[in-house]
Amino acid sequence: MIVNNLFLTPLFLPILAASIILIAKSFLSVKARQFFEYFGIVLGLLLPILIVILLYPYVIHNGSISIIIGSYTPKIGILYKFDSLSLVMIVLTNLLTLPAWIYSRSTNTSHSYFTVLILLQSAIIAGISMTCDIFNLFVCLEVMGLIAYVLIASKNEKNAVFAAFNYMMYSSSSMIFFLLGSFGLYRLVGSLTYQEIAKTLVTLSSKDQNIAMICLILMIVPILIRVAIMPLSGWLVNAHSKAPHAVSAILSGILIKIPLFVLIRLFSISPLMHNLTLVLSYMGSATALIGVILALSQSDAKKLLAYHSISQIGYIVTSWSLALHHGIETTLGSVLLIAALFHAFSHAIFKGLLFLSIGTATDAAGSRDVYKIRVVNQRLYNKGEKYPLTMICFFIGALSIMAIPPFNGFFSKSLLTYYIKPSINYTILSIASIGTIASFIKLSKIFLPSKEIEKPIKELNTSKFPFSIHLSLIILAALSLLTGIFAKEIFNLLERMFISTNIKPIKYSIFFSKTNVLKTLYTGLGGILLFVIATSKYGSKILHKLRMVKNDFIDQYVAYAITLALFFWVLIV
Amino acid sequence: MIIERVLIFFIFITGFIGLISMKNIIKKIIGLNLLTSSVVLLFILEASRIGDEAPIIDNKVQNIVDPIPQALMLTAIVIGVCVTALSLAMAVRLYKTTGSLDIEIIKQRLEDDCE
Amino acid sequence: MNKRSFFKIFITTFIVFFIILPIIISNTSWPTLARDYLFEMALDETGAANTVSSIYLGYRLLDTLGETLVLFVAIIGTMSILSNLHKQSLQSIETYSKLPLEKRAKNSLRTNLVEVVASKLGPIILLFGLYVMLYGHISPGGGFQGGVILASAIVFLALGTEVKSKLTNTNVLFKIESFSFISLILVTTYVVFFPNGFFSNIDTNNTFISASIIIILNIMIGLKVGTSLASVIIAMMGGQNDH
Repeated sequence: MIVNNLFLTPLFLPILAASIILIAKSFLSVKARQFFEYFGIVLGLLLPILIVILLYPYVIHNGSISIIIGSYTPKIGILYKFDSLSLVMIVLTNLLTLPAWIYSRSTNTSHSYFTVLILLQSAIIAGISMTCDIFNLFVCLEVMGLIAYVLIASKNEKNAVFAAFNYMMYSSSSMIFFLLGSFGLYRLVGSLTYQEIAKTLVTLSSKDQNIAMICLILMIVPILIRVAIMPLSGWLVNAHSKAPHAVSAILSGILIKIPLFVLIRLFSISPLMHNLTLVLSYMGSATALIGVILALSQSDAKKLLAYHSISQIGYIVTSWSLALHHGIETTLGSVLLIAALFHAFSHAIFKGLLFLSIGTATDAAGSRDVYKIRVVNQRLYNKGEKYPLTMICFFIGALSIMAIPPFNGFFSKSLLTYYIKPSINYTILSIASIGTIASFIKLSKIFLPSKEIEKPIKELNTSKFPFSIHLSLIILAALSLLTGIFAKEIFNLLERMFISTNIKPIKYSIFFSKTNVLKTLYTGLGGILLFVIATSKYGSKILHKLRMVKNDFIDQYVAYAITLALFFWVLIV
Repeated sequence: MIIERVLIFFIFITGFIGLISMKNIIKKIIGLNLLTSSVVLLFILEASRIGDEAPIIDNKVQNIVDPIPQALMLTAIVIGVCVTALSLAMAVRLYKTTGSLDIEIIKQRLEDDCE
Repeated sequence: MNKRSFFKIFITTFIVFFIILPIIISNTSWPTLARDYLFEMALDETGAANTVSSIYLGYRLLDTLGETLVLFVAIIGTMSILSNLHKQSLQSIETYSKLPLEKRAKNSLRTNLVEVVASKLGPIILLFGLYVMLYGHISPGGGFQGGVILASAIVFLALGTEVKSKLTNTNVLFKIESFSFISLILVTTYVVFFPNGFFSNIDTNNTFISASIIIILNIMIGLKVGTSLASVIIAMMGGQNDH
């Protein structure tokens, strides 16, 4: 009985911590508020990780734990199920919110609101990953979205507010379609739980089954908007680039991955959804390629990183959809799912590292234009930084995303591309890797010495560089290195959680085999070649044209309608 | 009857067209409100077909309507109100800092300030 | 609007129309499983005669908790976006409730009639809101409905000038809100020590204890909703005080 209630603690503890911080904020003085904030973070972010790790043996042993909340009848109550997927998602969220929170200690003035929002977000993500009920999913997705809009607009600058407004209109109107889909499903089935719907769906007539498929499409596409696959990713560039730096790290790292893994449960409702998975994998690889081409053409540093987020989520979606295509119970499907999860985890780490370090660097340099700023080290030295730690951390992040050993990007990308080998997705993703290397060489030019002689650069640094920035960067860089070195052990752990039989299908020889090392070398050379082409005269003209492509408000909805029509055509016709 | 559902569907389409085609931000927010209200109405209307009386258990009631959609729609209405409040606050902020409520002019002015 | 955007709008609406049409037209009858179950068991299991209250305060209490979180996040966002906007002179912070005569020509909608009538009606509506909140489990009403009426009562008090009340100060409203939030959390989760686990009711027969838990939950939700909405509206009217 105690175990049944223990797995609800990641949902409940952060909310309790947030309410304690609020009471402290309204009734106590400023000093006491600081203490309660630290206490709240320990109670709300660290304690759930420990509890969830304690539950790991149960999950391995039993497969999953499920209860009805409040022990009411299953016809009306809400069903919650905790399995290995929820465990990974909760650990991912709580672990990666921590460095972003530490970074934000250095900048924010109305700080307790930021802490409260982070804690509520971690609670709601725990709820999303465990729920098995349609309407509870709707409520939790809306809360997650609202927290994202408020966090983006928290900078109170007009660009950030407009980006948040755009995202809000798009996402809220699509959630209305989600509600309409759940109306259709409830009318056909009479219950809101996934398992009940799956059971009743096979007994309906064929006309009713078509209507149920339409309702499921109406429920899946709004979630795909949050994941930002290519036609539906018009909101992401502005939202991630104009937000404050800690918020960009959280958005890119966590909030675009969680809806994807929740879709696994929705896809298991009906076996007819299987036809969609191949289409989704092609959409994913196209996203990876187009994202990286658009990233190469950007001049704003944070927009470049935002387009890279789109490209990397394309990798994850490709692997995830191929996992669903082969079936999650089979070994190949489980391995692809593990590859997608590990890439999601390592992407969160190195993208967080990149956003935070580039954010600090561009703040010190005063502008974000990649073509104009140089010698950022000097500016950081002027702000009080004694060792070039920001530059080192940026290079660790860049090496990770370019898939160079021994960092974690190398292991996750190798695993992903090895197991999707015999399809066209493999070629597209390999081309995308070349583009990644080229654009990061472009981005690291900001640390080079500049050609012009400027005014005297070395000033007296009397200001102290905030320690929290360094601490967060060091934590993320250490995580990146450690998850790379211990990748084998982590894969072992994930295999035990997701694969039910005793065979261990991941061959560890693939990482340092001759083909893989040669492939990395060729990709690196191709990246340097592409960079040289892109900075030549002809290349820069093409890139300039790409940069001028405009994205209207209406275009987002046209993309939404086209995606709906595409899925409708694939499933029903 | 089917005519009521079709009419609610037309409110839905009106809200959707308002959301995507109107240039004024406040009109877009009104369109979003219309979308929410139409789905709420549809849910509750359909649920009230299976009974006659309000769902309060008493000695005399025999045939109550389905109470689950009513409870779900309470939540949906509150979510709609919250989104409206937040978007109106953003609209006020955008107006005060860029001087216009038209979405194309706001985009133009934000780009000009960036460069 | 030019031809291109007209074409885009037409395509979008056309696709959405034809995808949603089958759901609207289909003639399946509404399922009666839930209604039959609730008709028999709701009063016994949760202690509320109003079955809607028994659902959102009993069976699906987690959705209600999520909804209070939605309200809370929206309030934080709205207050922080509107925070520096009306910061003019110190005097204008009080202008929303005490318009001197020379300023009334500009704000021609805030006539003397509105101010006097609103301030007289405010306490009466407050009482009505408390009634709707407290009787939510046996007659139509409940926490949310009562809370919204409370919010409108507080807005009336803010609009009027005859009655001076501490309830229109956003600091006081924030204190009430955080207090009711933490009590809501504690009431729903201390039951982990009882056999039914989180978010359940202690007693599942139709006794005094289960009904009183429902009343306490209604009060907490009503206070939270009321103070949140009132503070948003007062912030939009310009009367926000800093923390």
